[in-house]
Order: sequence, then C-alpha cells, then structure tokens
Amino acid sequence: MKKILLSSTLCATIAFGGANVLPVEKRTFTQSKFIPDISLVMDASLVSRSVEDAEVAHLEVPGVAHGLLGSHSHGGNTHTPYNAKNGFNINYAELVLSSSVDPFFNMEGVFHFSEDSVEIEELYFTSTALGYGARVKGGKFNSNFGYLNEQHHHAWDFADMPLVYEAFLGMHGINEVGAQIQWAAPTDTYLMIGAEILQGENTQMFGKDKIGTYTSQAGAPALFVGYIKTSFDIDDTTILGGLSYAQGTSRIDHSDDEEPHVFSGDSKLYGADLVIKSYLDSYSFIKWQSEVLYRDMDGTQFNLNPADTTAVLASPTVTKKQAGLYTQLVYGINKSWHTGVRYDTIFQNDVTSNGKSVDKGNNFNKYSAMVEYHTSEFARFRLQYNRNSSLYNEDGNRQDIDTLIFQVNISIGAHGAHSF
Amino acid sequence: MKNIFLLLLLLPLTLFAHMNIAVSYPYIGAITKSIGGEHINTVVLAKGNWDPHFVVPRPSFISKVRNADALIMNGGQLEIGWLPPLINRAGNPKTNVGANTFLNLSHYIKLIDKPSNVDRSGGDVHPDGNPHFHLDPNNILVLAKTIEKFLISIDREHANVYQTNYENFSASWQEKMKGWQEKMASKKGMKVIQFHNNLAYFNKAYGLENIGTIEPLPGIPPSSRHIIKTIELIKDQKPCCILHDVYHSTKTAEFISDKTGIKIILMPHDIGALETVEDLTSLFDYLTGAVQ
Repeated sequence: MKKILLSSTLCATIAFGGANVLPVEKRTFTQSKFIPDISLVMDASLVSRSVEDAEVAHLEVPGVAHGLLGSHSHGGNTHTPYNAKNGFNINYAELVLSSSVDPFFNMEGVFHFSEDSVEIEELYFTSTALGYGARVKGGKFNSNFGYLNEQHHHAWDFADMPLVYEAFLGMHGINEVGAQIQWAAPTDTYLMIGAEILQGENTQMFGKDKIGTYTSQAGAPALFVGYIKTSFDIDDTTILGGLSYAQGTSRIDHSDDEEPHVFSGDSKLYGADLVIKSYLDSYSFIKWQSEVLYRDMDGTQFNLNPADTTAVLASPTVTKKQAGLYTQLVYGINKSWHTGVRYDTIFQNDVTSNGKSVDKGNNFNKYSAMVEYHTSEFARFRLQYNRNSSLYNEDGNRQDIDTLIFQVNISIGAHGAHSF
Repeated sequence: MKNIFLLLLLLPLTLFAHMNIAVSYPYIGAITKSIGGEHINTVVLAKGNWDPHFVVPRPSFISKVRNADALIMNGGQLEIGWLPPLINRAGNPKTNVGANTFLNLSHYIKLIDKPSNVDRSGGDVHPDGNPHFHLDPNNILVLAKTIEKFLISIDREHANVYQTNYENFSASWQEKMKGWQEKMASKKGMKVIQFHNNLAYFNKAYGLENIGTIEPLPGIPPSSRHIIKTIELIKDQKPCCILHDVYHSTKTAEFISDKTGIKIILMPHDIGALETVEDLTSLFDYLTGAVQ
C-alpha cells in the first residue's frame, strides 16, 4: 500500500512537474555537444598464400629480419602481422576519438583492437595556440619520419607494408612515446622542419632495455628523429620531398629464435622520400611514391646456446650497413576505381662480424599489384597480388611466396580528413 | 649598404601593411577582395574547376594558411574532407576555428534541404543542409555584408573603407540582380535534372524545379538501375535540360541525352570553373544565360 502511494505521488509529481517547468533542454546539464568525434575503422582480409602459415614464420631476410609474414613472438609479446593467416583475417578495429581540449590543445586517441588484445596505437595532444607555424605534440604517436610512417595502415595504397619498412622497423614502423616539435617556415614554398625525442622501444631496430645479463641498460629516451620536408605545385601536380634521420640505441632480443641471439649497440637510420601526385581532374590522378632507407648498425651480437639461452657462445662485434627502397605507382581512374603497382627491394646488405665481412646476400625483392573499388569514401575493397622473393628458409634457400589478398576496409562515424 | 639594411628591415613591415586573408573557394576571394579592396590580399586555396567537396590538401596550402592573418571558409561541412588537417598543420592561432579572425560563412545563411535523418545510407549527406548557398545571388549580398562586418571587426582602422566598398558593391550587385531576374522571369517553373544538387539555391532563386539527379544519392556514382529510372523520369516529366557541373564526367549525361534527346548544359559553380567565368558577375551572367 505504501509503495502504491509512493509511486502514485511520484507519478503525479512527474506529470505535474513536466507541465510548468523549463523545457527539457534547459533543465539538464546536457553534455552531448562535447562528445568528441568518433570513428571506427575495420580491416579484414581473405588471403591465399602459396606457403603454409607454419612455414612462413620460419623464413627470414638473412641478416635483416626474421619471420616477416607470420605471427611471431618477441620476449613474451606475440605480434600478429596483418593478413598473416591463409583464409579469413580480422586485422583490426581502429577506434579514433578526437576533440579540442581547450583553446590551447587538441587531443586524439587511436585504439587498435585485434581479436584478442587492445593497443594504444596513438594517444597524443597537439598544441593549437603557439603560433609562428610551430606545433608541439606529446604522447604516443607515429613518427613523421619519411612519408609512409606517419600514415595509418588504412590510408596506405597497398594492404601490406613496404619490404624495407617492415624489415628495418617492423609492422608498426616508428610508433613511440615521446615529444615532437614541428615548424612550418614563413615561406611561400612549403618548408617544414621537425624533431622528435622518443622512448626507443622498436623491437626490430631500436631499444634501450637490458636483455639477459650480458647487455647494459641504455639511457631513456633513447631515440632521436629529425626531418625536413618541402613541397610545391606545378599546375595540377604536387611534388613533396623529404629527408629524415633517426638515431638511437639498439637492444634487440632474438633469444627465442631458432638461432637465439641478442644485439646491443647503436643504430642510425637515413631516409629520403619523394611523392609526385598529378591530378587529371577532381577524381582521377597519378601518384608516384618512393622512399629509400639506409641503416647503419654497430654493436655486439651475443650468440646464445639454443639449449640454454643464458649461456653466451660467442659475442662478435657486428656492423650492418643495409639499404632498401620501394617505389609505387598508383593510378586513380575515377572516384571508384584505383589500381597500382609496387616494387620493393633491399639492395645493400653489408654485414661484418669481428671486422670480417659475412655474405648474407643482397638481392631481396618483392613485386605487388593491386586494384581497388570504393563504393564511397567510407568503404574500399582491394585485391592485391604479391610475389615475395626476399625470404629464405633455414637451409639458406630462397622460398618465393605468392600471395593473393582480398582486403576490406570500412569506416563509420566522423568524416576523416587525410592529409596529403 | 645601409640602404639594403633598411630595406630588409622595412620588408616585413610592407608585408604587414596588407592583411593576408586565406579563403577556401574563389567566390569567397572575389567577395572579400571587393569589400577589402587595397587593404587586403586574398589567398584562394581551392581552384574553381575542382569538385569543392574533394579538394586535395596539398602541402603548399599549409604555407598559405600558416602565413594568413585570417581565414574565411564556406562551412556547412563542404571543407570537412580537406581543410581541418591544413589548419591543424599550419600552427597559426589566427586560423583556428573559434578565433576572431576565423569566419564560417554558413553560419550567416539559412541553409536549405537540411536532412531530418542524418545517416550515410542516404549517401554523403551534409548534416547542416545544402552548402552550395552562394549560387543564389541574394545570398551574395548577405555574404558581402557578413564579410564587411568581419573585416571591420579585425581591422577597425579601415572601417569606413570597407563600409563604402560594401555599399558600392551592394548597389551594383542589386542592379545586376534585376537584369538576371528579367532574364530568368520566363523560366519560372521550368523542370531540370542535375548531376548533384549543387544548384539548389540557384533553382530556388529563379523558381526552377529540380526533379532528379543523375547520382542516385549525394556522392554515390550513378548506377545502371538509377540511370534507367532517370531516363523514364525524363520521358514522363519532360524537363528542359540536364544542368551539369563541370567536374563530374558528362558520360552518363550524354548517354541519357542520347536516349531521350534532352539537352546538357554545363553550369559553372564557381569562378574559374570555366575559362570565361572570371568573376562573380560573369558567373551569374553565364548561369542565367546558359539556361536560355
């Protein structure tokens, strides 16, 4: 009885209250206007590869990288590259939240969901009020080294990373915690100079952590990046070029590999990029994009006993001078159809051990072709063919891999705007 | 030697004498120049013959925004796909959204065709309504007034110049509008087909009736099913013509024209869209002349 009374009183209050108080939008502290821009990108693929999944993980680019295609683990972290499995792959769901913070900053978060884990891919604030063409960024972000490194996977023209990037830097490129400052010069011609101080946690090339008992801990932050970019237009053609440099300590843990080893030293990475994009009309274009990377690594390699990885068998001084490039040509036929080809190569692979040169080969190539169909700006279906002639098995024999990837990339939510 | 030094010192000052105003589209540049006169420089980003929805955010634009003292944009989400990253990269507080040197023109116009349901299954919809408002000559006057007030607000010193320029512009524009009105008087109620409904405001101003578009939904390329439907619609309703923008291919329109005999008329949407369209007046001279 009490309950009935109470609820009918409540009802009456609500009914009565609704009649003569302020309209709804003035009664609440509505926050909906402050919801950040939200978007969700999915990337999935159907893959057909001429080599079994289990075999791929054992292949390597000798002297450069191990297990480029398959899932592999590094010191307890398992990384699953995109399109790794024959058959269907859910590569990721990418959730992006962005908004201005106050009159002085923007913030953006990019969360990368794979089937069984979540990573903060990017989380940073950028300044908006400094003026003089300067902008400061802090947090975790893709370095602006080179051209491709800053772009997210779904903005690439091919389903996979260029060979030289993946071999030198791994599937995430230079994606680090740190700070960045960029300055656009007050010139008519675009000229931008940038510098970054980064933690240095790249598992393929840079690192600072002590591994085992034989390497030392390097100071942090451990990675420094600088670049200069310029761009100009000739009629409907845009030319963008850049020079980049990265330097840091290296602590690379391959103690779980079949030939377990650990590298400790210093590394330098040089990059040059050139993009020429020519517009034929509002939707049709030809884009030629190329990047050359050269790296110089100098340190000690600790070869470990496979039976007991705490035991060091030998610790030679190792230097690596390696270089590679990719060059790709994409033709945008119209708004719906794009097609392109790409050539990848690692053409220099000078490795020395205790001053003696070690022949690891220097002829690693990959050829790709793709055609894509866009139903709108928000959905893209891409068929890509790769012939990878860069991977060798344990016996030192080259294993050519043919791969067919049907990639689906869909996005919903806030309208993303891509930079050039 | 001393002279050179002095010149070098004075050089930046002469640059500051003019306000650099970056604008997204050529028509905005033209209005701004008419009002600002000799006290401003306009830097136009997009070219008039490009699809205004799909402007390539060239890095050279970053320099233009970086060196601007003010930014005027169309708004209504027309620039959503290309302008934000430029502003973000430019590192110029004067061009930030919300700065008093930043002007979004769409806030001063009542947009038409605001969708009641904002969902991308309806194509690439503009949630705030149709943003191609400058093609109604009446709106040009509103925009000119808006820009006059804007310039006065950021450069009070020359307020009387901007005021006079506006008055002159307004008077001559109203005169021209009378001419266009006369030219278009007989066209009231005329049915037209378009590729994309970017002439909505022009049609409204002169009483033309848009009965269909070649694209099935905004931003979605024509499908064969929709083309057949459009052909049937044309046979049934007998519109006068297809009013076609300059940046989409006219291939589909030509196919439809072959099947129905309907006329295709190229309609420039901005200054520079066609070579003969050199200023605002010639834009409306052309548009009103083309449908005769």
